[in-house]
Amino acid sequence: MAEILFSSWGGEVVDNRQKDGQDFEPVNTVDLPEYFRQDEAVKALMGWYGIVIRDPETDIVDLSRVYIQEVQNKSCGKCFLCRIGTRVMAETLERICNGQGKSEDLEILKRLADSIRESSKCNIGQSGPLPIIDALEHFADDFAAAVNAKKSVTPGTYHAKLTAPCMDACPIHLDIPNYVECIKEGRFAESLDIIREKLPLPGVVGRVCVRPCEEHCRRMNLDAPISIKFLKRFVADYELGKGKEPEFTITPSEKTGKVAIVGAGPSGATCAFHLRKMGHEVTVYERFNEPGGMSAMGIPDYRLPRPILREEVDRIERMGVTFNYGTTVGKDIKLSQLEAENDAVFIAIGAQMGTTMGVEGEEENYAGYISGVQYLLDINQGRDPYPEGKKVAVIGGGNVAIDCVRCSFRVAKDDVNLIYRRTKNEMPADDVEIHDAEEEKVNFHYLTHPVKILAENGKVVGLRCVKMELGEPDESGRRRPQPIEGSEFVIDCDIVVPAIGQTMDLSLLEGREDVKTTRWKTIVVDEVTKQSDQPKIFSGGDCETGPGALITACAGGRTAAFNIDKLINGQPLDYSEDDYFDKFFSKVKVFDPAEDIGFLGGRERKELKMLDPDTRKFSNAEVEQGFSINDAMAEADRCLRCYRVATVKV
Amino acid sequence: MVTLTIDGKEVTVPQGTTILEAARSVDIRIPTLCYHDRLNPIGSCRMCVVEIEGYTHPMAACTTPVDDGIEVVTSSERLTRIRQDSLKLILVNHPLDCPVCDKGGECLLQDLTFEFGIDQLEYQAAKVERDSQYASPLIRYWPDRCIMCLRCVTACQEIKGIGAISIAGDGYGAQVVTVDADKCQSCGECLQVCPTGALTEDLSRYKGRTWLIERVPTTCTYCGCGCQLELNVQNDRIIAVTTKDGVGINKGSLCVKGRFGYEFVNSDERLTKPLIKRDGKFEEASWDEALDLVAEKFSAIKGEYGPGAIGGLTSARCTNEENYLFQKFMRAAIGTNNVDHCARL
Repeated sequence: MAEILFSSWGGEVVDNRQKDGQDFEPVNTVDLPEYFRQDEAVKALMGWYGIVIRDPETDIVDLSRVYIQEVQNKSCGKCFLCRIGTRVMAETLERICNGQGKSEDLEILKRLADSIRESSKCNIGQSGPLPIIDALEHFADDFAAAVNAKKSVTPGTYHAKLTAPCMDACPIHLDIPNYVECIKEGRFAESLDIIREKLPLPGVVGRVCVRPCEEHCRRMNLDAPISIKFLKRFVADYELGKGKEPEFTITPSEKTGKVAIVGAGPSGATCAFHLRKMGHEVTVYERFNEPGGMSAMGIPDYRLPRPILREEVDRIERMGVTFNYGTTVGKDIKLSQLEAENDAVFIAIGAQMGTTMGVEGEEENYAGYISGVQYLLDINQGRDPYPEGKKVAVIGGGNVAIDCVRCSFRVAKDDVNLIYRRTKNEMPADDVEIHDAEEEKVNFHYLTHPVKILAENGKVVGLRCVKMELGEPDESGRRRPQPIEGSEFVIDCDIVVPAIGQTMDLSLLEGREDVKTTRWKTIVVDEVTKQSDQPKIFSGGDCETGPGALITACAGGRTAAFNIDKLINGQPLDYSEDDYFDKFFSKVKVFDPAEDIGFLGGRERKELKMLDPDTRKFSNAEVEQGFSINDAMAEADRCLRCYRVATVKV
Repeated sequence: MVTLTIDGKEVTVPQGTTILEAARSVDIRIPTLCYHDRLNPIGSCRMCVVEIEGYTHPMAACTTPVDDGIEVVTSSERLTRIRQDSLKLILVNHPLDCPVCDKGGECLLQDLTFEFGIDQLEYQAAKVERDSQYASPLIRYWPDRCIMCLRCVTACQEIKGIGAISIAGDGYGAQVVTVDADKCQSCGECLQVCPTGALTEDLSRYKGRTWLIERVPTTCTYCGCGCQLELNVQNDRIIAVTTKDGVGINKGSLCVKGRFGYEFVNSDERLTKPLIKRDGKFEEASWDEALDLVAEKFSAIKGEYGPGAIGGLTSARCTNEENYLFQKFMRAAIGTNNVDHCARL
């Protein structure tokens, strides 16, 4: 990797300019990628945490000019210093680069940079001038020379991007600071418009998202993250409560075509929404009789009431998308037929089969042994999966396992156990879900592993387990659980539900070879364009990524839609600048959990009201009650609006 | 309750109070420009930034809630530099047309420029041409004078719940525009909160200087609400109607009629004496003459046809007391229950 010449990233200055190559000090605060794209080496970076320079030919004055111009372009205009101050800075640097610098210019730049940084309302102004301050300090000679030179600088080539920690973490890159600010200002419809530019299911995602954004919320460094998920839910519910039908404008692409989508889950629905908005004729095939895919069948109603899901998908139908429910592709209609009749096919069938545990007795088809996916599917369709059984043992530590235990109460099972081989700390399920399950009095058996399913007369009567202890960390960094010899015991139960993972039923591909699959039974597509080796076939969602987050599935659907549009219009499926920035930011981290923000914090995060655990566990009523208008506006007011700009010299 | 110190002075205020409110409660003045008592804090001007001991970043006093034990400093060299820079940056683009500005003499920007002794501007930026599209026939928008404090946007949204104005564009080119002209009721709420002369009342342009007018407090006669207003009088003519924030039941709000419907007062066509028609022509008469005539006619009708032949309709513009007296008059003096009110029609 090429060495870094100078870095002030994160406040740690490494200056190798006067050193020989072998004496270069390493830079620990940032991992600057070598290439922005194949043919473009990264020469320098200017951004919210400082400057990083690799190429000695980098003109710092020109880089500063381009960077601050970008900051000015992105300034929202809502506070005086950032709006006008960055403009004065940009014009001053422009003048210097045109050979018209004045002696007082550098002093003005420094003074303004300080004032803007210290007092701007949001992070554009707070972080924007920071690298300019670094540049003026560490490259004083270059600036002085530029002011005195009285001749124009040759402009370089740059890429610039506005981002924010939450936006970057969100798989579909929702403009979170913007829609949160609209809520703060009481402009709920506008907030929803901003969300819907990318995501047609705000009510669904606002309820069940795993919220990577909140884990990257800079407010966490002060007190607690913004309740982004529930703010999204709030605006969706507000519109629904008012009975307003959203208006979607359809702007047809130059050429429009026919597209078939397999699966009406989050990925398929999002893809259909965007394709329809671009004027394409879209038909969705769904094996169940209602929309939502695994989010309808796998997520219990007390977390995601189905009327919400139905309404949001029905709106897509009312935009002019055809939904063929109760139609299984591969059985009722062949994939090859869809291919022949359409310009493109998007496969988003989800991960609809449970995986087995590899435990003795699992292959015996005992009554009372039911996979987690099937168990939830039955309950969500209003059936008790096994009325005879009353004592349930669910194995697993993810959200599906938690859904299984909590659902058990709702079909009148009174003894409900969850078995997980590590401890609560390692459990992948959402902390909130674990907490709610504890409140509903699930028996948690941590450090426990199933060994054998016990049965009599073909019916489950118990589960033999062994106690575990945590040993040395494995490759994933988590401590590996090991069985404790002689610690076996039996959990008395008549239903055993393995919920340890899901896999895909890819029978619709009928073993064809032009669409490749992995050994984890996922469909192989280009990670950015979502196109498979067969140009007409695209895939996204769980069947492409493996079981994952709902919002990731939506993001896949959206990306596929834009690339299908390109395909239909005969354009190359090239990566966009945003795609390259996604890769760039996977190295140059947008969020630093250790950053000292220097603000006074202590503003309490608003929490939702919940139904009482003792009664809610026997009903399917939605447990979490949404924000009131006042709470939503107060919560939105906590947002620090952490927009930031990066400029890369290539 | 939370206890903190501001400039060394101990203050105890309820949780949730902002630093600005806490300072005001003990008469410590922090300069503000976009802050307005009737609006949620906006935080656009950054004039109220303060330092908090132990935190590197200055914070806006208007939007920051107090915390137990914090030590707030409201003035320092650094804060003065920031405040001066904020003002200087506004002035980069602000026209010096104070002599002809209707707000001249009671403009917050003028006051602060004076207070912070801004006598020269080292900052420069090219002028942006702004559209002057935001205006109703009664309200004039002067885009060059607008400092984009967003008080008007906030008032339209928060006080009136209308949201006819918003900000459009980004960066230097951002501007305040009407996003929904049909929603605007010309109530003048925006005008009321504007700290500069960016929004002026279009009826009274160039009619008088603020320091020469007399402000006469009175009650609006348009309806029974009883809004308090001030007639701006110069040389015995009303040249504008204003109202004071926080006064009366309207607390600073008015409707389009109360704020702009005053020109009838000095109209040549206004009747100032009763007229009685004699020989087909209206002639001026005294009140006694006029009232005697009306009483005589009512008595005649009542004598000939009975009190049921007379009915009375009263007006929403009247107060409760006036409406009460009217029905009393109809029932007791005329002797009929034929009485009704325009709001029921």
